[in-house]
Formats: sequence, structure tokens, C-alpha cells
Amino acid sequence: MKIPVGIPVFVAAAGTNPNFAKMVSRWLISAGVWLLFASVVGLLEAFRLVDPEILADYAWLTFGRMRPVHTMTMLFGWASMALVGLAFYVVAKSTLAPMHEPMKKAELFLANLAMVLCNVGVAVGAVAMAMGDVNAGREYREWPWYAMAPVFVAVGICGLLFYRMVARRAVEGIYISCWFVMAACFWMAIVVVMGYQTFWTAGIPDRIVDGFYIHNAVGMWFTPLCVGMTYYALPKLLNKPIYSYALGVLGFFTHLVFYTVIGTHHYIFTPLPMILQTTAVICSVAMIVPVWASTGNFLMTMKGEGLAISHSYSLPFLFVGVVGYGLASVQGSAEALRFVQEVLHFTHYTVGHAHFAMYVFVTFLIWGCIYGLVPRMTGREPPILLVSIHFWLALAGIAVYVIGLSVGGHVQGESWLEGEPMMESVRVSAPYMVWRAVGGLLMVVSHIFFFVCLWRMRPGAFTMAYAGAGK
Amino acid sequence: MGLNIHTNHRMLFFIPAISYLVLVYLCAVWPAMVEMEAMEAVPKPFEDELPAIGRKLYGSYNCVTCHTQQIRGDERKATDVDGVRTTPVLTADARFGRELATRAEEYAWQDPVFMGTQRTGPDLSSTGRRLPAVQWHYWHLYNPQAVSPGSLMPPHRFLFTTTPPPPDEEFDYEEVLVIEGLGVKSDRLWATPDAKALVEYLLSLKREHLEQGRLAK
Repeated sequence: MKIPVGIPVFVAAAGTNPNFAKMVSRWLISAGVWLLFASVVGLLEAFRLVDPEILADYAWLTFGRMRPVHTMTMLFGWASMALVGLAFYVVAKSTLAPMHEPMKKAELFLANLAMVLCNVGVAVGAVAMAMGDVNAGREYREWPWYAMAPVFVAVGICGLLFYRMVARRAVEGIYISCWFVMAACFWMAIVVVMGYQTFWTAGIPDRIVDGFYIHNAVGMWFTPLCVGMTYYALPKLLNKPIYSYALGVLGFFTHLVFYTVIGTHHYIFTPLPMILQTTAVICSVAMIVPVWASTGNFLMTMKGEGLAISHSYSLPFLFVGVVGYGLASVQGSAEALRFVQEVLHFTHYTVGHAHFAMYVFVTFLIWGCIYGLVPRMTGREPPILLVSIHFWLALAGIAVYVIGLSVGGHVQGESWLEGEPMMESVRVSAPYMVWRAVGGLLMVVSHIFFFVCLWRMRPGAFTMAYAGAGK
Repeated sequence: MGLNIHTNHRMLFFIPAISYLVLVYLCAVWPAMVEMEAMEAVPKPFEDELPAIGRKLYGSYNCVTCHTQQIRGDERKATDVDGVRTTPVLTADARFGRELATRAEEYAWQDPVFMGTQRTGPDLSSTGRRLPAVQWHYWHLYNPQAVSPGSLMPPHRFLFTTTPPPPDEEFDYEEVLVIEGLGVKSDRLWATPDAKALVEYLLSLKREHLEQGRLAK
């Protein structure tokens, strides 16, 4: 039986250190709360693009301020916290750490401290931006520095803990998941330093750093963590080895080389140095190599496992996430091309792409890993009916959202090319703003089901009672 | 253990870390330093007090989320005639920028730069020239749909007040001409100092210095 339900889950969970399980759950439940909060904010913004009068009388709730509250909380509250929580479990398991004591007492304390720091940063950032302290014009780092500081310290702490766990591994080889996790923490620390440095904050230098920051924050943090988690979860849940380990290594190094330098594709046709623009376009296309090294690897691992996937409640999420990774990245490569930018840059299409990547790829993979791995840690499974409702609502929601914005973005871009008045482009894309709101609504409802499931998987009496069993 | 990254965690940490630092230097730090020198050669523009406050408010209300300030040009088709470099403007941007694509020196010393990545509303890089009427901007900020039907811009009514300003601060406020369809529940309306500053900033966006520079050449 390859389907992780019932007895195998209890067996896998038996003997897990309850304090460790609680620590991981704290990261995940914090992430779940931020997901609910940020998606409600996002939904508010979506409805406002249909009717701008909604809650328009409060300066702190204004569209411009709530938009970064949505994006920053999603990025750092939801995706980052969920991935780091999962990473603790995956690193412990893939280094064959003894599960009754995967981390030392002091390390557990630090991991919990990092969790608190992350939550403080996300909360302070949201409040500060609502109050008007927006690091404006700098996407995905709109938080003032004092909100990013605790998150930066947390990333540092986690990086140190992952390194220590890998250093005392019980096997000789270091599994590819650990490669991605260890590297991501270091890369992210550098990205944050670059994002908040004070040397190049004006003129074109500021934009060079901005292009770098936007894409590296996404590509050198979320992508490697997600891919790393999948490299562990997928073979584990299918109970078979990964298709090709070498492809994973190829993916790791090509990702490092190509992804780092593509940031300037956000500034094509601007006065930024031409060589940076051209390098960004070329390497954006070259991203096909690392993306399909991983996606192809995952798909080949899943080949012939249709029955297992259709009978599992976690694998469908992983399947959608893996396909989403491949497609969203190809879409991103295409968007970097100059003739595509002429039509689609600045339009709603870009927003659709961002959601495709952060939702279908990152969020679905996180969900797949949570549903697949958390029961193996706490011994508690989510109600399968609720997981199904979550899956279909989220999938339908994001489909409506992305299709709507992709078409709407095209219509908007074509209107500009036709030279029609600006207001005409707003009018012709207005119907697609309704698609966006409807899709958003479905996604928000699905998140409520997800949170109920996540709550049901929290460590409980079982974790405590069986804690000593594996000693 | 040796130097094999598959089995040596130190190597596994340092190789990606150092490679990354080298790449960051090449693709971000070095270009930023080169461009910094170019920027420092441009004289620091004089900034009036009110537009400078308005600029901060533009950031605080995060207007850059929906409004760009860049006219894209195709550098590949640029021409040099008598030492004047002209970059053709993209078709989609022509309405906002006429024949002049934005140049690096326009952004010099701007901190932060409001280039933007999204154009849900119109480009604002030459608002002061396209829409020079102060009162229009007040109406538009108070109720965008009143002057621009179908607009998706959120109203900024919180920047206005219907209670008369205290006599000693009267100078900081400006009375708004109440027109039909504005939806004001009172006979009179005042723009707060914030609204005044924000509009001053929008009116200051003209790209005039560039045109002048061009003509001088």
C-alpha cells in the first residue's frame, strides 16, 4: 500500500519527539493564520478592482497600503513560515536524525525563537504599512527595515540550525533536499542585505538592486525550499526512489547560475544597462533547464503511479504543484522576451503569472507536503472530505483567477497598442476583474477548509502517548 | 570526507555560497556602483518643499502600485543625430511620453524611484503637463469616478475635510470648488495640507528639464 493513511502513518509518527512536533506545528499553524489573514486582504483588494468604493473612507485601509500587506504577508507570513516549518522535519528525516531527539534542547529553543521573531516581523510589517510607513516602489520589501530585521535574524538562526543538523547527519551522503534548504537560507540572507542596504537607494542603481531583489527573493528562497521539500515528500509518499538524482544536482547548480542574474527582466525597455537587460532575457529562457530538470524528475517519479495519486489526499496537491512549477516557469521565461513585454508588461497578465507561480506552484506544493508529512509526525490525519473540498475549491479558484487575468491582461495590453484612450483599457478589462474576485473568493473559502484540516493535524494526545515508543 | 560536495557539508555550504556572492557582485553590486558614478555626475535637482512632502505621501499611499512613471523606449532602434540620442518610444507608451523615452538622468537622486511595474491607472511621469488644473486634481482625489467615469482609482476622501480649518492654519488648507456629482454632503470642502502637497507633487511631474535640455542641444 502506497497510500499514507491509517497504520503506516501511526507507525511513522511513533517516537517523534513531542516538543519537536510542536515546534514544527507552531510554524505551520502560524503560516495558516497568516494565509487566512492575507487572503482576506487580497480578496478585499480584488473586490475593490470591481467597486473602488468598498471601505474607501479609511486612510489605513486604502488600496495602495493593503496591497503590500497582502503580498508581504503571503510571502513571509504564509509561504516562508510554512516552508521553514516543513524544512525542519525534512532535514531531520533526510539526515536520519533520531526522531526521539532530532534537535538538542537549545536548538529547539532557537527554532521556537525564530518562529516568534518571524511572527513579530510579519505583524509589525502589516501594521507599519497600514499606518503609512511603506518602503514604497520597492516590491516585496515594502516593509520598513524594523519589520524585516526580526525576519532576517530568524532566517539566520534557521540557517545555522539546518547546517548543524546536516553536519551531524547519520548517513555519509547529504540528500538533495538539504542542499536546497541550506543554500536557500544563505541566499535569502544575502538577498535581504541587498534589499535593505543604504548605498544604492537612488536613481538607476536603486532599480538595478530592485530587479535583483524582486527575482532573487522569489527564486533563491521560495523555489529552492519548495523544490527541496518535494524532493523529500514525493519519493516518500510514493515509496520509491527519485527518478534521477543527477538531474536534481544539475537542477541545483543551473538554478544557482541562471536564476541569480535574471532580475533585470522586470526593467526591459528602461534606461538600465543594456547588458543587464539582455543577460536577464537570455538567462530567463535558460531557466527552462533547472525548471525541467526538477519538474521532469518529479513527473518521471510519478509516472505509472496514477492509482496511488488518485487514492491519496496529499499526492494530488504535489502533482498540481509540480505541473504548476513547470508551466509557471515556462510562462515566466516567455514573459521575459522583448516582444512579449511590449504587449503584456504592466498589465494584469503579470499579476496572473505571479499568482500562478506563488499559488499553483508554491502553495500547492506546501499543501501537498503538509498533508503528506505532518500526519507522519503527529499521527493525526485530516478529515479526507474536507481535504477534497479544499483541493477542488482552491484549484477551481486559481483556474478562474489565472485564466481571467491572462485574458484580461491581453485585452488590456492590446488596447494600449491600439492607441485607445487609457480609460478604454480599464473598461475592456473590467469584466475580468469580476473573474478575479470570484476566483479569489473560491480560494479564500478553500483556505478555511485547509485551516480546519491543519488544526486537526496538530500534535495531540497521540504524539505525547507514543513519544517514547521509538527510543 | 574529502572535497566531495555530496559528502562534505562544509563544501556543500561554501561552494553555492561563494558562487552566489560572485554572481551577486557581477549582476547587482558592480552595475550599481558603475551607475552610481554616472548618477553622481548629474547635478542634484532643486526640490521645493511642498512637492517633496507630496512625494513622501505618494509613497505612503503607495500610488506606485498602480501608476508607473516611465516611458519605455526601444534602445535597439536608438539613433544618434548631431550628438542627440533619440530612443523611439514603445507604441503602448507613446500617449504618455510623446517622442521622449525616459532617460537615466530623469531618475537621478530620486529616492525611492517610482518607476513602477504595474499600469492599472495611467502613467504619471508628465501629469503636470497633461493635467495642469489644481482643482481637477482635488476633484479627482476626492471622487475619481466623478471626473473620470469608470475609473478604478480608490477615492481619497480622507485627505479632505468639510469642517472649516482653524483661522491660524487657514493658509495650509485650500478650498475645493464643489461641483455637481462630487458627492460632498456639505456646501464647502477643504483640501488638507496633505492633499495640497500631494497635488503639488503631481503637478511638478512635467519632464520639462528634459525637453529644455533637448532644445538647448
